[in-house]
Amino acid sequence: MGFFSTLSSIFGVGKKSCNIVVVGLDNAGKSTILNALRSEDTRVSQVVPTVGMTVTTFSGTGVNFSAFDMSGQGKYRNLWDAYYAKAEGIMFVVDSTDRLRLSVARDELWMILDHKDCKKVPLLILSNKSDRPDSLPVGEVSNLLGLDLMRNRPWTIQQTSAINGNGLPHSLEWLSKNIKEYMNGESS
Amino acid sequence: ALLFLHPIIVNLNMDSKADMKREKKDEESGGNPYAKLDVTAVLQECRAFNETPINARKCSIILTKLFHLVQQGDNIGRTEATEAFFGVTKLWQSKDATLRRLVYLAVKVLSTISDDVIIVTSSLTKDMTGKEDAYRAPAIRALCLITDAAMLQTIERYMKQAIVDRNPAVSSAALVSSIHLMKKAGDVVRRWANEVQEAASAEGHMVQLHALALLYQIRSNDRLAVNKLVQKFAKGGMRSPFALCYLIRIAKQLIEEDDQADSAFFQFIDSCLRHKSEMVVYEAASAIVSLPNTSPSELAPAISVLQLFCSSPKPALRFAAVRTLNKVSVKHPQAVTSCNVDLEKLITDSNRSIATLAITTLLKTGAESSVERLMKQISSFVSEISDEFKIVVVEAIRALIARYPRKHTVMLPFLANMLRNDGGFEYKREIVDTLIAIVEENPDARLAGLAQLCEFIEDCEHPALATKVLHLLGREAPKTANPHAYIRFVYNRVILETTQVRAAAVSALAKIGAQCPQLRPSIEGLLKNCLLDSEDEVRDRATFYLSVLDMAPAIVNSLVLDTLQSSPAALERAAAEYVENEEAHSNKFDLKSVPVCSAPVAKKAKTLLAEEVAPAKEKKTAANATAAAAERLSQIEGLTAGLGPLFKSTLPIPLTDNVNEYTVQCSKHIFANHVILEFEVKNTLNDQLLEQVNVSLEDAEGEWKALRQRPIARLPYGEPSSIFVLLPFPQSGAVQGVLGATLNFKVKDVDPSTGEPESDDTYDDSYVLEEVELCVSDSVQPLGKASFGPAWNALEEEDTVEETFSLANVSSIHEAIKKVCGLLGLAPCERSDIVPEGRNRHVVMMSGVFRGGHEVLAKANVAIDPNDNSIGLNLLIRCSESIIAEILATAIV
Repeated sequence: MGFFSTLSSIFGVGKKSCNIVVVGLDNAGKSTILNALRSEDTRVSQVVPTVGMTVTTFSGTGVNFSAFDMSGQGKYRNLWDAYYAKAEGIMFVVDSTDRLRLSVARDELWMILDHKDCKKVPLLILSNKSDRPDSLPVGEVSNLLGLDLMRNRPWTIQQTSAINGNGLPHSLEWLSKNIKEYMNGESS
Repeated sequence: ALLFLHPIIVNLNMDSKADMKREKKDEESGGNPYAKLDVTAVLQECRAFNETPINARKCSIILTKLFHLVQQGDNIGRTEATEAFFGVTKLWQSKDATLRRLVYLAVKVLSTISDDVIIVTSSLTKDMTGKEDAYRAPAIRALCLITDAAMLQTIERYMKQAIVDRNPAVSSAALVSSIHLMKKAGDVVRRWANEVQEAASAEGHMVQLHALALLYQIRSNDRLAVNKLVQKFAKGGMRSPFALCYLIRIAKQLIEEDDQADSAFFQFIDSCLRHKSEMVVYEAASAIVSLPNTSPSELAPAISVLQLFCSSPKPALRFAAVRTLNKVSVKHPQAVTSCNVDLEKLITDSNRSIATLAITTLLKTGAESSVERLMKQISSFVSEISDEFKIVVVEAIRALIARYPRKHTVMLPFLANMLRNDGGFEYKREIVDTLIAIVEENPDARLAGLAQLCEFIEDCEHPALATKVLHLLGREAPKTANPHAYIRFVYNRVILETTQVRAAAVSALAKIGAQCPQLRPSIEGLLKNCLLDSEDEVRDRATFYLSVLDMAPAIVNSLVLDTLQSSPAALERAAAEYVENEEAHSNKFDLKSVPVCSAPVAKKAKTLLAEEVAPAKEKKTAANATAAAAERLSQIEGLTAGLGPLFKSTLPIPLTDNVNEYTVQCSKHIFANHVILEFEVKNTLNDQLLEQVNVSLEDAEGEWKALRQRPIARLPYGEPSSIFVLLPFPQSGAVQGVLGATLNFKVKDVDPSTGEPESDDTYDDSYVLEEVELCVSDSVQPLGKASFGPAWNALEEEDTVEETFSLANVSSIHEAIKKVCGLLGLAPCERSDIVPEGRNRHVVMMSGVFRGGHEVLAKANVAIDPNDNSIGLNLLIRCSESIIAEILATAIV
């Protein structure tokens, strides 16, 4: 860490910056969520399927996030692992209306968590598309993903809707807090 | 002094910092700071990309190092490159503008050596459509490089927007990238024609150029569309000088390709001569002068424009003008004479390149009287110009001597002087070639030229040139009044030089000895001294020549004076076959079994009159064809069995038009008593499969009968294959014939996409080809003789066939000689095919080998009647078999 950043962290001025990886199956709503998290003037009107990945920056409370928005399409999923190593947080987005592929999402999630590059970083699971009438309740999603088996890392699941922004501020707050704690734990 | 001491002090005091300081010093003194980079070290440094927060400055330096390594051609492994690439993708989060642009470069650099570059597609698309103009153009370029045809569909919309973007940088980037994409996905890019059209009328100068270039690429397959394109923009609407230059080039190409091109194009180019931008004016002028078949009146305005440029204050313009005039002076010396006054002024130009070109142009156009003055001018600064321009000067002198042979008294000392000064091998070779050409073609200059060359080899550092000169001495010295004067020069080489030069000197001595009987005893004495040489090659040659020189004149002729009659490659193959084949060992190796052909070196030799205009293209010569065909035929089992060695193969002649359904080429392979006709058939219909393809031949005279044939069993679309037909030469001894040919085959319809037959049904079809002609020249291998006289006299006791013809439809002696050589299939000897200017009769000596290895010699006396321009030909043919001489005489009809 550079001299100035150490200085600023001592005095508590300025924001920390951190990298997070945003993953999930295709059409879960990752890019839309990130679009909603961005400041008003940098938003785009139309979200198209991501090819490969994009980098988005936005700020939470006391932390600046650089989010690596990975494409969820099957053929690009093998590229996710290139970004685990330096990530300080993982955001896993699930389409809560897609019962059929929840088990696929579970497999992908556990594959990430078992990956050798993946450290004990905070994991935020977003059960997206809660505005839709056919969406599953958050408890059921949690059960289907097998989250109750997870140990040794801070995690939470949050019901969100990227369209109307429900649940997003709360989850961002949780992520900021836990990542700060994680990074302080790392540096000390 | 302090400056110099500085590093030493540092070295003594602070070892640790010394390296750093010295590095800095290197940088100041212009050394390359990236000179000693190590691939692994730089790849290690690439880990810095993963740090948070990103140190933009540090990453920029690392990226630059990485680019340097890749540019230098250092090999980066695929996994390492991929790792570095994924590191680079993390730099997207930095907001530093410089770093971001380096990232785009990195994507382009790494795109070929790393996997999964496709991952940045979305990031690039985002930047390309973003608000930051500085990012958009590089993002477009990077994106178009990594995208493929399938992916292109998804970004098509953005590309269309970018092409018509108001920002010229973005628009240009999109257009240029599209030009590159044409190769990958032409059909997608073609759909953008409307947007490109719109961009062509945009403001930016570069945008117009790029749009025009892309439009041309899109339409380049369609001549009519290109015509329309040029017509449309020629009318106006192109303000950009760059685009106009491009348009001129397209128009020029159109005129070149089509003889009856629209004269509107020429008018357009002509009108550009009055454009206000110098660039356009120059482009138009240089286009006009390089067009073929321009009349003097069309040329005049272009030349006068170039003349104006000659007095421009800008050196680049002057250089361009002089260089173009120099080129024109080869084709149209008359047209350039009007510029002579301006060119004279440029001789003293401070820029040596301009001065050199000016002088060489003047040399080409100037009158005989001004030559001496110009030569004096050149010699004043010839030592100051680079080798490259010296060669230009030598070439100009070469052309000059060809035009004014009498001026050799001025040129020779000048060339000799240049030869003595320093210079590279290329330059020296050019001078030596020029001198050799002078000696060979100008009898008046022979003595002086040989003397200069003799002096040159006394102190020559290039063995290749020395051997060349020695070879010339062996041939030319006996023709001079006192050949013994040259023996000293040649023998000096035997004493002083390296092996290859010594060997060449021994050969030269032997040649002089063979042609001058009075010198033979002394030469034999010298050769005996060579027997004690330390090298095998020299000793072998000396021994060989010593024993041969005493034999009969005919043997001396063939062994000493004549060059090898077969190509080295063919000889090598024949020898290898002989060694492998155990049964053949009972017989001696027969040199006659090797296909004969003249030494290719002789063909390539430039003559003084050689045109500089078009650089001679590497032509597929008949000699190569023979060697290749022998290889090919021998691989086809049972085809050439019992026919003996291949005598000659002709180059393929098309029997159909290029655009027909089936294209057929015929080449003739001549053997001692047989000829094999090879029909190479290509099926250009992708929905047909041809089976049992054969050729039926019909001879109206009934002399030629096919002995056997090897048809093609299956001929799928696009794969050429050959039919072989074996014909014996007729009993009557005729060698000429015209055979009607028809292609017969069965057609099976196939699915064009898979090539699989749709059903088993076939139907017969036939296809009439053009006639196959067998002519006398097919049976003769042209083979130049180095010394024609002795060989001609050796055949004195044989009958001489004499015929006289009057030639119709030829207009000059030169043309007549070329035609006679072609018809007889003989090669002209001793450069007798070059007709001196203004002569109305000329004797050409020709020689060759008839199939079966019979040597044929011919003398043709061509005369032109000045009254009615009719051309008469008197032909004398000698051959050991009189029947062959008669056959040859029938060739001329």
